[in-house]
Amino acid sequence: MSESLRKILAGAVTVGLAIVVVVGIVIGDSTPQDRVQALGSSIKCPVCQGEAIADSPSETATAMMDVVAEKVEEGLSDDQVFEYFRVRYGDGILLDPRFEAKTLLLWLLPLAAVGLGVVMILRRRQAPAPTVSGEELS
Amino acid sequence: MTALAGYFGIVLAMASAFVLALLGLRGMHHPHRVSRRHLELAVFGLMAGGGLAFLALELGLLADDFSVAYIADHSATTTPFVYKLATGWAALEGSIVLWGLVLVVFTLTVYLRSRRDKEINPLWVGALGIMGLITLYFFGLMATIANPFQVCVEAASIGCLETSNVPWATAMAPLEGPGPNPLLQNHPLMAVHPPLLYIGYVGMTVPFAFAISALIRGESGAGWLRQTRSWTLVAWSFLTAGIVIGGLWSYEVLGWGGYWAWDPVENASFMPWLVATAFIHSSVVQQRRGMLQAWNFILVIATFSLTILGTFLTRSGIIASVHSFTQSPIGPALLWFLMVILVGSLSLFATRIHLVASSPRLTSLASREGVFLLNNLLLTVFAFIVLIGTLYPMFAEAVSGSQLGVGRPFFDRLAIPISFALLLAMGLGPITPFRQARGSVVWERIRNPLRVALAAGAGAVLFGNRDGYLVLGVVAGTFVISVILRQLWVTASRAAAKQGTPVWRSFWRTMRSDPGYWGGQLSHIGVALLAMGIAISANQGADTQLVLEPGQTAQFAGHEITYLEDFERDEVNRLVLGARVEVTHSGNTVVLEPRLNRYARSSQPVATPSVDTSLRGDFYLSLTGIGGGRISLDVFWFPFIWLIWVGGVLAAAAGMFSLIVKKPARVATGAEEESERV
Repeated sequence: MSESLRKILAGAVTVGLAIVVVVGIVIGDSTPQDRVQALGSSIKCPVCQGEAIADSPSETATAMMDVVAEKVEEGLSDDQVFEYFRVRYGDGILLDPRFEAKTLLLWLLPLAAVGLGVVMILRRRQAPAPTVSGEELS
Repeated sequence: MTALAGYFGIVLAMASAFVLALLGLRGMHHPHRVSRRHLELAVFGLMAGGGLAFLALELGLLADDFSVAYIADHSATTTPFVYKLATGWAALEGSIVLWGLVLVVFTLTVYLRSRRDKEINPLWVGALGIMGLITLYFFGLMATIANPFQVCVEAASIGCLETSNVPWATAMAPLEGPGPNPLLQNHPLMAVHPPLLYIGYVGMTVPFAFAISALIRGESGAGWLRQTRSWTLVAWSFLTAGIVIGGLWSYEVLGWGGYWAWDPVENASFMPWLVATAFIHSSVVQQRRGMLQAWNFILVIATFSLTILGTFLTRSGIIASVHSFTQSPIGPALLWFLMVILVGSLSLFATRIHLVASSPRLTSLASREGVFLLNNLLLTVFAFIVLIGTLYPMFAEAVSGSQLGVGRPFFDRLAIPISFALLLAMGLGPITPFRQARGSVVWERIRNPLRVALAAGAGAVLFGNRDGYLVLGVVAGTFVISVILRQLWVTASRAAAKQGTPVWRSFWRTMRSDPGYWGGQLSHIGVALLAMGIAISANQGADTQLVLEPGQTAQFAGHEITYLEDFERDEVNRLVLGARVEVTHSGNTVVLEPRLNRYARSSQPVATPSVDTSLRGDFYLSLTGIGGGRISLDVFWFPFIWLIWVGGVLAAAAGMFSLIVKKPARVATGAEEESERV
C-alpha cells in the first residue's frame, strides 16, 4: 500500500470515528431522564446535612420525593414544583440557587476569577518591551 | 493518671515548641548563634510531649478510663477495639491531639533531614521555627479551650456531668459511656480516613513554613521548593487517599449509593487538594524555567490557609448554623488563627516579594509552561468556585438572615466543564515541549492516541450509551491514558533500540530514569480512570425501590432479586437486623446481606449496604426497612464504579512514586534526554 493511500485511509478512519461519536452525542440521550429524580436532586432534605431528597434515605426525604412525584403527575412544570417547595420551606430548600439580587455575587465572582486569570496569563507572555514587572502580575 | 500524664505531655510539647520557635527565629538570621544541641533538645521534647499526649489518650481509651471526661463521653466498655482507637480522633479534642502528633512527627522529619548539612542552614532552621510557632498554637488549644484531658468530677449514669480543667482534680468516673457516634463505629474505614486526611492537611505545614522562612530571609530561587518537594508530595498523596477513602466510606456506610455530595465537609477537604495540586504543578515550572516564583508563594499560603479553613468549617459547627459556631470557643479561636495566618503571610509577601521574585516571561503560550498556566488557572478557579459555593450560604445567612441553598446542581454545572478542560490539559501538557511547541510535534504525539480515544467513544456510542457526558468522559479519559502509554512506548523502544535489548525491559528503566515525570504520569492515569468511573457510573447508573415478601422475586437492571429470609444477630455494641437476598445475573447467583444496625442509646438505625462487585459494576442493596414480614430495599446498579476507587488509589500512590523509586546514578539510555525534550 502506498504511503499516501495509507494516510488517506487513516484520516478517513479518524474522521469516521469522530462522526460516530458526535452523531451519537447529538442524537442524544437514549437514557430517559427521570424527571422526579432530577427535581429531587435539586431539593434539599431539611433534616439532613447538605443532602438532596433524592439522595437521602430518611423518612422526610422519602415523603418529599412522593410529593414531587405527585406534583409531576399533576402536570406541574419544574419551576412550579420548585415554587411549591420554596413557599413552604423557604429559599434554603432549593439547592440550585437562582440568579437574583442576593445570589449576584455567587454567580459573578467565579466569572470574575476566570476573567482575571485569563488577563494575568495573557500579560505573562513575552512583551516586546516589558513595561509591567513580574511581581505586580502576581 | 491518664489525665495527668496526658496534660503533662501537652505542657512539655508547648514548652518545647516555644523554645523551638525562639531558636528558629533567631537562627534564621544568625545561624551561628544557635547550637544544634539546643535545637535537638527542643525537637525531641516536642516529639516526647506530643507522643505522650497521644499515647495517654489512646491507652486511656483502651483501658476505659472514664475519669477522663473525653473518654467517658465518647467511648463505652462495649466499643470494639478498632473503634476505641479511632475514638481517639473521632471528636473535636481528640482530633486536635492527632493533629498535634502528626505536626510533631513532621517537625521531627524536617529536623532529621536538616542534620544532613554540616552547618546550620538558616532557611531550614527558620522553617523549624515557623513550625514551632504553629505547633505552639495547637498545643495551646489543647491546654486551654480544647482540653482532651479534662477530669470528670461528677458522673452521670452514662457519661460525664461536670468536668474540671485541673488535671489532678479528684475524679468521679462514670461506669459507662455512650460510645462513639453510630455512624463512626459502623465501618473500619472511618478509623483510617481521618488520619490519612490529617497527614495530608498537616503535611502542607512544611512547604508553608519553608516559604515563610524564605520570605523573611528574602531568599530567592527555587531552593525552598526543591527542598520541600518530598513533603509536599507525601502530603498530597495522603490528602488524595484521605478524600478517596472518605468517598468510599460514604458509599459503603451511608446507604444512599453516592460517594460525593458537595457537602461543606467534603468541600473543606477538596479545596486544599485543588490548590495543592496547582502548587505541585506550578512548582515544576519554577524549578524548570524559573517562572511563577511569586505565584508559588501565593499557592502555598493558600493551601495552608485552606487546611485551617477546612478544620474551622468541620470543627466549629458553623455548617449546622452560622449562629451555633460561637457556642464553642474553638470556632472563634480557629478563625482568629486563620486571620493571623492570612494577614501575616500576605503582608510578609507584599513587603518581601521584590527580594525573592524575578520571573522570566513566557516565551509562548503554546508550550509546556502555557499548559501548566492553564492547569493552574483551572485548578484555582475550581477551588475558588467551591469556596464561594461553600461559604456563600453562610454569609447570606449572617448578613440577611435568610437561608440559601447551594448544592449539587450549582457545583456540578461549573465543575463538569472545568473537569473536562483539566482532562484535556492533562492529555496535552505532558507531551508538549517547554519554551515553544511546534504544532507538528504535538500532533505527532497525539495523533494515534486521539484515534484510540475516538474509537473508545464510538464503541460506547455503539453499545448504546448516548449520554454526552459519558461519551465525552470516555473519550477524554482514554485520550489521557493513551497519550501517556504512547509516550512510554516510544521512549522505551528508542532506548531499547539503542541498547539492543527487548522493549519490555526498557519500560521500567525508562520510568526509573525520570521518576518525577513518570510518577506524575501514573497519577494522571489514575485521575483519568477516576473521571471515567464518575462519568460512566453517574450516567448509566440506575436505581429503584422495592418492597418484597419472603420468596418474592423482582427484576431490575438485568438482575433477578429474591428475598429469602431475615436474620438477627446480637453483637457486643449493636443489634444487627438483616435480610438475605438472592441476586441472579446471567446464571450467576450470589446471596447479599444488607443490614440495619441498631446501636445502644441511638434511635436511628444505621444501614450497612451489601454490594456485589464485579468487573461490570456494583450491584448495591441498601435495606431501608424491615418488619411485618416485608423488607424495603433501595437497589442501585453502578456500572464500572470500581474505576473510581482504583483510579483514586493509583493517583494517590503514584504521588509517592518519585520518593520510592530513585533515579539510578547513571542510566545509559536515551530515555532521559527524551523526557527532557518532551
